Parts: sequence; structure tokens; C-alpha cells
Amino acid sequence: MMQASHPPQAPSTLSQKLVRALTGYTARTLLQGLLTIWAVITFTFILIRKMPGNPVDIKVEQLMISQNLSYQDAYNRAAGMFDFDPDAPLLEQYLDYMWKLIRGDLGRSITSSGTPVLDQILRYLPWTLFSVGVGLFISFTVGIFLGMAMAYWRGSLFDNVMTAFSSVLFGIPNYITALLIILILGVQLEWFNVGEMLGGVDQDVKAGFNYDYLRSVMKHAFLPVLTYVSATVGGWMLTMKSSTISTLGEEYVTVAHARGLGRWRILTAYVGRNAMLPLVTRLAISIGFVVGGSVIIESIFLYPGLGKLLLQAIGSRDYTTMQGVFLVISVAVVASNMLADMMYGFLDPRIHVSGDR
Amino acid sequence: MIGFQTIATTSGLIIGAVCGLIPLMVGIRLRQWKPALIGFLACLFSGFACGFLGGLPMIIIATAVVISYSYIAKDDPFLSRASIDEVDFEESWQDSILRQMSSLGRTTRAATRALIRNKAGFIGFIGVMFFFFMTVFGPSLIDYDGQAHYYDRMKPGAITLFQGPSREFPLGLDYQGRDVLSHMVHGGQKLIITAVQAGIFTTIIAVILGAIAGLIGSIPDRLLTGLSNFILTIPQFPLLVVLASIIEFDQRIFLALLLAVLDWPTLMRAVRAQVLSLRERDYVEAAISLDLGLPHIIVREVLPNMISYIVISLIFSIRGAVYSQVGLVFLGMVPFKEPDWGVMIYMGRQQGALFLPEASSMLLSPILAIALFQLSLVLFTRSLEELFNPRLRAGL
Repeated sequence: MMQASHPPQAPSTLSQKLVRALTGYTARTLLQGLLTIWAVITFTFILIRKMPGNPVDIKVEQLMISQNLSYQDAYNRAAGMFDFDPDAPLLEQYLDYMWKLIRGDLGRSITSSGTPVLDQILRYLPWTLFSVGVGLFISFTVGIFLGMAMAYWRGSLFDNVMTAFSSVLFGIPNYITALLIILILGVQLEWFNVGEMLGGVDQDVKAGFNYDYLRSVMKHAFLPVLTYVSATVGGWMLTMKSSTISTLGEEYVTVAHARGLGRWRILTAYVGRNAMLPLVTRLAISIGFVVGGSVIIESIFLYPGLGKLLLQAIGSRDYTTMQGVFLVISVAVVASNMLADMMYGFLDPRIHVSGDR
Repeated sequence: MIGFQTIATTSGLIIGAVCGLIPLMVGIRLRQWKPALIGFLACLFSGFACGFLGGLPMIIIATAVVISYSYIAKDDPFLSRASIDEVDFEESWQDSILRQMSSLGRTTRAATRALIRNKAGFIGFIGVMFFFFMTVFGPSLIDYDGQAHYYDRMKPGAITLFQGPSREFPLGLDYQGRDVLSHMVHGGQKLIITAVQAGIFTTIIAVILGAIAGLIGSIPDRLLTGLSNFILTIPQFPLLVVLASIIEFDQRIFLALLLAVLDWPTLMRAVRAQVLSLRERDYVEAAISLDLGLPHIIVREVLPNMISYIVISLIFSIRGAVYSQVGLVFLGMVPFKEPDWGVMIYMGRQQGALFLPEASSMLLSPILAIALFQLSLVLFTRSLEELFNPRLRAGL
């Protein structure tokens, strides 16, 4: 709300006003976020249990094939292995799950007997956060700088080449990039041994904060990160270019030129900061999707991230793990959307986070 | 359907030729030889490609273009030689049709020029056309090699049936010794059709819901915004994987619908925001106060401002639908039948083609096809931007 539209008879101090606006807005956003998360949990809960086959059935099938058991024997054994009753009413399962969830208990994984889901998630999450996060950071930074350069020298050879290049990168789906990297760089050109690069870390290296381990982690993360960077950097470049071009036409830039400010000062303090505004919000939103990682990329590179965990859980119908992963991802998305809203208000003083709208 | 049965057959060619006669005759009558010939060829082509579905609309467009070359507006003081007193401003219906045809023709010509003018966009257009022709005409030129071959095609000394490109098989052989080229030509049609369907469904849902939310406001607006927030919060691709295991996709149109159901929120929000902001614009308010009627306001004032965004987002929906379809097949979540580009990648990976240098062709062909198709779509949007931008088009 505009400052001037306030009636003058309410002489509350600035800090009071700020606190009031913030609590009202924050409370409402939080409530909305919680509601969305609850809706997602409920929806996925029903959906997951509507999938054909349940964990017991799948285990029974496996046992019947691998150990040559009769159906009844296999069923008894499988049912004994899992802490899960597929015949319980859906509502009862749901209430049970929600009650546990409120107390912060995500339940135990159904298939890998007894491991708490939280532990599972905490084991896989760092890999995804690391690989996608590094990829996002690199592609954002590179995209910002190249995009600004493209806008500044627009129409030049550099701009044309980079625009074509970024369109190509932007146009190709990420798993296609991943396959191309393996096929062309790995198999045809033999720049690296693909087999050694797959997975999360070498088996024989001991986990810990030492050189060998970190080197191994870096080596294995290289291909996924390369894929994430090349799949997203084009988008950042193109957005930054158009954002910078529109900022370059603003009057305050002309005024800054007229005042005789240095070229670099104009480029960084006047153009760059303002052109980055819309991108920063976008960055905040995409941080939410970092957590989900990419199911396909992780399955191509056998990378032990959250996407791979989710895919495994879907394959073995591990209800609780699936549920947990969906929960973590949606919480991240909701949180990052809120972050984006707040950051925008914080970065751009023209937009006040206010009570209405 | 009468349209698609005649695709790339002799009867399609005849339909095209008959349709083409109309712009040809009109052109000869008006002494516009070049447009007449181009119009004839265009009709021939689209009749060949789509039967009556392509031929009939093309008659109108081609004839309109031909007419537009020699049409002189009666009431245009710069073109008319009659003095102002002699001009009859009452239009007969023939004149009205002529005038509208020529305006359609002019628009088409401007659109074509806009299409060609943007180089990147034109490359994209050519790419899209290439894949269109390959999937439409290709199957009638190249037979489908669906049977597994065993030792008859095996090279002496080879361990697998995979083969790299050779003169006989330009794209090599796959894991069962089948011709990769034939799979490429036959495998794209359903993928692209499903993607286009998904894109169209997405656009329809999004535009209708966005217009409802923007125009009505209050409770429907709240509900739809909440729903779109909800859909945007669920991780899309994992959700798709879960849904794919529940729904049996015996018909791919269901997959198209499902993709649309997950894809509409982004466009819907944009349409809603546009509608909200357009309601406040001066020219819309002026049109309302002039009482120009709702159809006029929607068609003449509101739509031109949104059509660019809508068409471009349609293209991006198509692109997203290709991504999701191939992704699902790639993970083995939807059992699509061969021939299909996605299945080729899936089977190639299953059969270890990823690490065999001589097998690369089987994987590279569908991979590059998908990459190029996606890239063409993205580039094509450049031309569309120019096409729908009234400011850019006015300068033509």
C-alpha cells in the first residue's frame, strides 16, 4: 500500500507498522503454505495407495521367483518381513500417518526393513543438494555474466554466436544432454571412462573429510553437474540478456551516463543490479526444485540422490519412503516460493510487501 | 477421418490438384501469374499432406493471397481514380467478400515475410517442417522393418547385431539387426501427435480457466489460483511417474490429457494476469465506453495482446510433452509399442548400446532427432514472436 494513502491520524512508528505488516503477511503466507503442503500430502497419500500392487505383493512375487516358494509360504514370509498391513482401511492408514507426521515421525521404510524414512532421506539428500546446487550456482553465475555481455554488445558477432549457442543449449532436454555426453564424449571420443564416472563415490575410498574422498566425490559429480549446467545455462543467459536490454533503455541509465559516471560503475551498480532482480526471484524458485533433483539424470548416471531414491521407492512400492520424498520436495518448493516473494520485496524497494493482495 | 486417410496417397495428390485449380484460375483471370502458380503448388502440397483437411483451408488462403495482389480498395482515396462524389460507400456483398479476402491475403503475406525475416525462427520453421514431412510422408516411402533379424545380417566376426552406418543402412542396425532408419521414420508420428494434442489441451484448459478466473474473480478466482498453486507444488515428473503406473495408457490421447492436466497452471496464471491488467487498460475502457460489444472487445482489443503469448506457450507445452513422454518411456514407466523414438532409446540402453561404439547409431539417431525437434520448436517461437507482434508487423 502506498505510504501517502494512509490517513494522517494514525501516528504509529515505522517499526510498529513494519512489524504489523510483516506478521499479518507472514502469518497468512505460512498458513497458505501449510495448507498447500497438507493438500499435497493427502493427494499423494491417496494416489500412492492407488498404484497397482503393494509392497507385500511385489515381495511375494520376488520370493516366488527367487526361492521357488508357493504363494502361501511366500506371502507369510513377506508379510512377516514388513511392518505393514495392506488390508487396513485407507482412512485408518491416513490418520495413523498424519498423527505420526505431526510429531515429526515420517515412519519407517516398508521395504528396507525398519530403516526410518528420515534416515533414508538424509542419506540421499546431500548428494542431490550438492550436485544440483553446484550446477545451479555455476549456470546462474555464468548465465548472468554472459547474458549481460550479450546485451551490452548486442548485435555483435559475440552476441549472435552466444544467442545461437544458448538457444541450442536451452532447446535440448537435459536427459538428452546426459546421453549425448556419455555417447559422444565418453564412448566415441573416449575422453573419459564412463564406467568409472557413474555412481556417487568410489567404493574403495573411505568416507571422511580427506583428499581422496573429496576427489572421488568431485569426479563422480562431474557428469551430472555438467549436464545440469548445460541444460539450464542457456535459459539464464537468454533471460539475463533480455532483462539487461530493457534496463539499458531506462532513464536512470541515461542520467548516469550524463553525469559522467564510469562505464563499469554504470554497468555494475546501475544496470546489473536492476537487471538481476527478476532473475533472483527465479533463482529462489528454482532452489526449491534443487531438492527434487532430476529423476532421469540421477538414474542415467546412477547418482545416489533423492530422485533415485524416489524411483526405487516407486519401483518397490515403498509407500512411506515415497511419501517422505514427496513431502520433502513439496516443502522445499513452498518454502522457496515464500523466499522468492520476500526477496523480491527486500531487493526492490518499489514493491512493498503489504497486507492487501 | 476423411482427412488423414488420404495422407500421402495418389488420391491426396488429386485432391490437392483439384483444390489448386481454384487459386490458379483466379490468378490467371487476374493476370497474377506468379501468385497463381504458388497458390496452386501450396494447395497441391497441403492436399497431398492432409487431404481435404489441408486442401480446403488452403484454397481460401491461396485465393486470398492471389486476390490481395490485385485488389484495389474502392474507398481508398489514394488508389481510387473516381472523385469522392462518385464513390458509393454502400458495399455489395461481393465487394465485402473481396475486401475481406484481400485483407486475409495481405495478412498471410505479411506473416510469411515475418516468418522468413527472422533467421533463427526460419531455421526453426524449416526444422519443424522437416519433422512434419518425415513423420507424414516418410512411412509411405520407407517400409517398416519390424521383424527381428538374426544371422542373415550379421557381419562376419561381429558379436552383436548392432552395426554402424553403412551404404545399405544409412543409420545402421539395432540390437535385432533391424534398420534404424525405418524406425526413425515410423517412430516419430505418435510421439509428435500426442505432444501436439497435449499442447492443445493445455492451452484450451489454461485459457478458459484463466479467463474465468480473471473475468469473474471472487470465489472461482480463489479456487483456481489455489488449485494452480497446488499443482505447481507437487513435483511434476515424479507425480507423472506415479500416475503412469496407475493409468493404463492403451490410448495415447489419455496420456496427452494427463500431461495437459499437469501442465496448465503456468499459462493459466499468465492469462489471468493478462486479463486482469487488460481490463484496466485505456483502450479497453475506451472500447467499453464506446459500447463496441463484447465480441469486438475480445477479438479486436484483448486477443491480439494475448495471442502471441498463448501461441508461444503452446509451442513450449508441445516441447514439454515430448520431454515427458520420452522421459517416461526412458524410465520404462509406460509400455509404448515399437516403433517409437523413446522406446528406441530405452531398448538401446537396455541392450547395452550406450557403451558399444558400433551401437551408438541406434541411440544417437533418436536422441538427435528429439534434440533437433525440440530445438526447432524453440527457434520457431522467435518467428512467432515477430509474427504476432503488431508493432513489428506494421513495419512490413
